[in-house]
Amino acid sequence: MTAFWILGILLVASAVMTVTQKSPVYSVVGLLANFLALAVLFMTLDAEFLAIIQVVVYGGAILMLFVFVIALLSSGTGPFTEGPNRLPLARGPALAIVLIAFGALMYAVLRAPLAPGTIVPPSSTLGLAGQPDVFGSIGDFGTALFTTHLLPFEVTAFILMVAVIGVVLIAADAVPQRTHGHHPVRPKREREPIVKVR
Amino acid sequence: MSFDPSPYVALSAVIFFIGVLGVLLRRNPLIVLMSIELMFNAANLALVAFSRAWVNNAGHVFVFLVITVAAAEAAIGLAIVVAVFRRSVNVDVDEVASMRG
Amino acid sequence: MNALLISIWLLPLIGAILLWAFGPQLNRTAGVVGTFVVFFSFALTVALFDVARAPGGLHVTFGSWVPGFDFGLLLDPLALLWALVITGIGGLIHAYAVGYMWSDKAVARFFAYMNFFVFAMLTLVLSDNFVGLLVGWGLVGLASYFLISFWFYKPSAVAAGRKAFVINVFGDIGLMLAIFVLFAQLGSLGYAAVFSKVGQLSMPALLLVCVALFVACAAKSAQVPLHTWLPDAMEGPTPVSALIHAATMVTAGVYLIARCAPLFNASPQSQELVGIIGALTALTGAVLGLAQWDIKRVLAYSTMSQIGYMIMGVGVGAYEAGVLHFLTHAFFKAQLFLGAGLVIHALHDEQDIRKMGGLRRRMPFAFLAMLLGTLAIIGFPGLSGSFSKDAVIYGVLERGHPMLFGAGVLAAGLTAYYMFRMIFITFFGTYRGELDDAAVGVAERVSSPEPEDHAVHLPDWVMQAPVAVLMLGTVGAGWLAIGGTSSPWYRFFGDAFGTSVAAAEVPGFPEIASTLLVLVVVAAGFAVAYARYGSPNAMAHAVDQLRNESRTMPALLVHAFYVDDALDALFVRPARALGTFCARFVDPHVIDGGVKDLVWLASALGLVFRVLQNGLVRTYAFTLVAGAAAVLVYAAWMGSR
Repeated sequence: MTAFWILGILLVASAVMTVTQKSPVYSVVGLLANFLALAVLFMTLDAEFLAIIQVVVYGGAILMLFVFVIALLSSGTGPFTEGPNRLPLARGPALAIVLIAFGALMYAVLRAPLAPGTIVPPSSTLGLAGQPDVFGSIGDFGTALFTTHLLPFEVTAFILMVAVIGVVLIAADAVPQRTHGHHPVRPKREREPIVKVR
Repeated sequence: MSFDPSPYVALSAVIFFIGVLGVLLRRNPLIVLMSIELMFNAANLALVAFSRAWVNNAGHVFVFLVITVAAAEAAIGLAIVVAVFRRSVNVDVDEVASMRG
Repeated sequence: MNALLISIWLLPLIGAILLWAFGPQLNRTAGVVGTFVVFFSFALTVALFDVARAPGGLHVTFGSWVPGFDFGLLLDPLALLWALVITGIGGLIHAYAVGYMWSDKAVARFFAYMNFFVFAMLTLVLSDNFVGLLVGWGLVGLASYFLISFWFYKPSAVAAGRKAFVINVFGDIGLMLAIFVLFAQLGSLGYAAVFSKVGQLSMPALLLVCVALFVACAAKSAQVPLHTWLPDAMEGPTPVSALIHAATMVTAGVYLIARCAPLFNASPQSQELVGIIGALTALTGAVLGLAQWDIKRVLAYSTMSQIGYMIMGVGVGAYEAGVLHFLTHAFFKAQLFLGAGLVIHALHDEQDIRKMGGLRRRMPFAFLAMLLGTLAIIGFPGLSGSFSKDAVIYGVLERGHPMLFGAGVLAAGLTAYYMFRMIFITFFGTYRGELDDAAVGVAERVSSPEPEDHAVHLPDWVMQAPVAVLMLGTVGAGWLAIGGTSSPWYRFFGDAFGTSVAAAEVPGFPEIASTLLVLVVVAAGFAVAYARYGSPNAMAHAVDQLRNESRTMPALLVHAFYVDDALDALFVRPARALGTFCARFVDPHVIDGGVKDLVWLASALGLVFRVLQNGLVRTYAFTLVAGAAAVLVYAAWMGSR
C-alpha cells in the first residue's frame, strides 16, 4: 500500500510537471519520471513484462522521438516562441468540464464493485518470471500473445508498418534540387512565418 | 483478501484528466503530444489494475497493443509537427488555423 | 328530339367560339353570322313547342359527372317560354345590332359575346338541376360583365362592369348557399328530386333556402338594395341594354322563383318577403325614374320597377301573372330600348333628353316605337302591358296583400308620369341640340358619349325592321291571357306552379274594379306629365323649365336615395381598407417577414455555430472533451438508476 501512495504521488507530480512546464525539455524530463514511476507501479501489480516494455518502448523510443523533434524545431539556443493566445477564456470552462467528468467517473466507479471477491490473488511472484503459468510473467504473456491473441498481434505489426511509411512521407523534406549554377540554394534553416489565411 | 482496483482506477482518472487539461490549455504542440501520452499511460494503468483484479492476462495483451499504437501515433504526430512547424517562427497550435469557417 | 334540344343549347356557344376564333377574318359579317345562329336556335325551339307541353316536358340526361349527380336539360313550359324569348327577342336584337354596331371597331367580339350570353342564358333556363342553374347563373354574370365593359377604353364602362359583376357574385353566394343546404338536407340537386322531397326540409332550412335563393334573385334582377348596378350598366351598347338588362338576364330571378315554386309555396314567410321587396323595388324604381335626364337611365329605372312587379307577382304566388308580365315586358322594353337606340344613333350619341326635343317630326318611326312602348308599359287598355300589369296587381290583391296592391297601383301612376315625361321632353317641343349644355341645365355628363366612327352607315330599315316585329308582340302578347284561368296562357302552364300553402282568397274586390282603379291612377299620372311637360304652355318655356328642374332636383333623388353611397361605405370602403392593410402591413411584414425571419434565423444560427469553427485545434479538442464529459455524466447517471 505504501508503494501505491508513494508512486501515486510521484505519478501525479510528474504529470503536473509535464503539463505545466514552459520549456518542452523540462516536460520531457517530467514525462520520463512519469514513465518510470508507472513501470514500478506495474511491477507492484505483478505485470513485470509490461513494466519492462513500458520503460523500453516509452522511455527509450518515444521519449527519444520527442527529444529529437525538440532539437529539430529549436532555432539556436533560444526558447520556443509562441504567438498570442487565441483562446484566453478557455481555462475556466476547461477546468470545469474536467472536474465534472472526473466527478462523474468517480461516482460511477466507486459505487460499483469492480472485481469479484472470490478470486484469490496469487502470492508475489517476483523471481519466477519466465514460467508460463505464473500470472504476469513473460512466459504467460507470450503464450497469450501468440496463441489466444495472435490476430491483434499481427494487426499491430501492420499498424507499425503503416506508421513508418506515414512518417517518412509526412516528414521528409522534398528532394533537394540541383541548381546547375543558376540560382542559389535556399538555406535549410530559413524561417518564414506561416501565411495567415482569413 | 481480494484485490480492490479502485484506488488504481482513481489514480488513472487523475492522470488522465491532467493529460486532458494539458491538451486543452497548452499551445506548444510537443507538450500537447506529451499530454496525449499521459492519457495513454493512464489508460494502461487502469487496464493493468483490472487485469490484476480478474487475474486475466488479456488485459496485459491489451496494454501491449496500446503501447504499440501509442508509439505509432506519437511517431506520426511528431512527423506532422515537424512538417508543419519546420519553417515557422512560432511553434504554436493556435497559428495553424487556416481551416476556419 | 334530344339532339334538337342539345343543338338549341349549344349552337350559340359554337357561334361564339367561331366568332372569337375568326373575328378578324369575318369583320362586319360577324353580325350576320351571330344573328343567324340565334334565329336558328329560335326555329328549333319553336319546333319543339308541342313536345315541351307534354307532361314532363323534354328531358335529356347527359349522365352523371359526379356519382349521384345527373346533369341534363329540361324543356318544360316554363323553360320553353324563356327559351323562346331568349332566342326570339334575342335574335331580333342581334339583327338590330348588326346595323347599330356597323361602324364599331370590334364587331366580331361584340357578337361573340352576345352569342355567348345567349348560350349562358339557355344553360340557366334549360338545366334540369341546380348546379347547371348555378353554372348558367355565373356565366350570365360573366357575359354581362363582358358586354357592359365592351368599350373597355371608357373608364366609366369598366367601373360599371365591375360593379355589376361584384354585386352579381354576391347573389351567386346566395344561390350557392341554397344549393349547399338543399344538398345537405335532401341529398340531391335535380329539380324533380328536390321538389318531390320538399316536405323533408325542416322549416328553418326551407326558410334559409328561400331567402338565399331570393338574395340571388335580388342581385341578378336588381331588386332593392342590390339594384345599384343596373343604371350604371347602361354604359354598355344599347342592344346590350335591350337584351340583357331588359328582356332576359335581369329576369333570371323571376325564372328562379317560378322554377322553385314548390319551395316558395311551402314557405309563406319567404313569399311575404319576396312580395314586399318586389313592391318596394317597383316603387323605388318609379320614384327614381322621374329624376333622370339620360334616356337610357329612365328606361333602366323603369326596368327595375317593372321587374319589381314581376317579382312581386311570382313572390306572392301569382306565377302566371308574373310570368306574363315578363313576356310582355320583354317585348315592350326591348322595343323601348331599341327605339331609344335609334334616337341616340341618329343624334350621334347624344343621350341627354334635355338636348333633344321635337324629334317627333325628324324621326317618326322612332317616335312611333317609343310611344307604343310607353303606352304598353303604362298599361294602356288593349296593349300587352295592360293585361299583364292588371293580372299582377289583381293577383297580389286576391292573395291577401292589400299593402302590396296599393304599392303596385301607386307605382303604375308614377310609371305613367315619368314615361310620358320622357316622351314629351324628347319628342315634343323644339329641338334643343344646338343650345349649349348650361342653358338647359346640363351640369356634368354622367356618361360620356359612346364612341363611333361615322364613316359607314347602313340604311335605316336594317335597324327599323326588328323594332317593327317587336311592335307586333308589344301589341298582341297580352291577348294570350284573355279569358282568365281558361285562357291559352293559363292552360299553357297547367298546374306547373302549384298553389301556395298560405292562399288566402280575399273576395269582394272584383277584378274590374282593380283595373279601373289602375286606369284612373294612370290617367292621373299622364295628366300631371302633360301639364308639366306636354302642354303648349309648358313646351314654350321648355328650356327654362328644364334648367330650373335640373337645379332644384332634390338631392335625395339625384343620389338615388344614397343607396350607392351606403353600399360603398358598408362594403367597398372596408374591403379597400382591408386590401390596403394587407398590402401595407401583412404582405411586407407578415408574409415577407416570415420568409425574411427564416433567412435571419438561418444566418443567426449559422453565426452561432461559426464560433465553433474557428479553425483552432484547441476548440475542437475542447468540443471533443465536452462531449465525452457529457457521455460520462449520462452513463454515470444511468448506471446509478
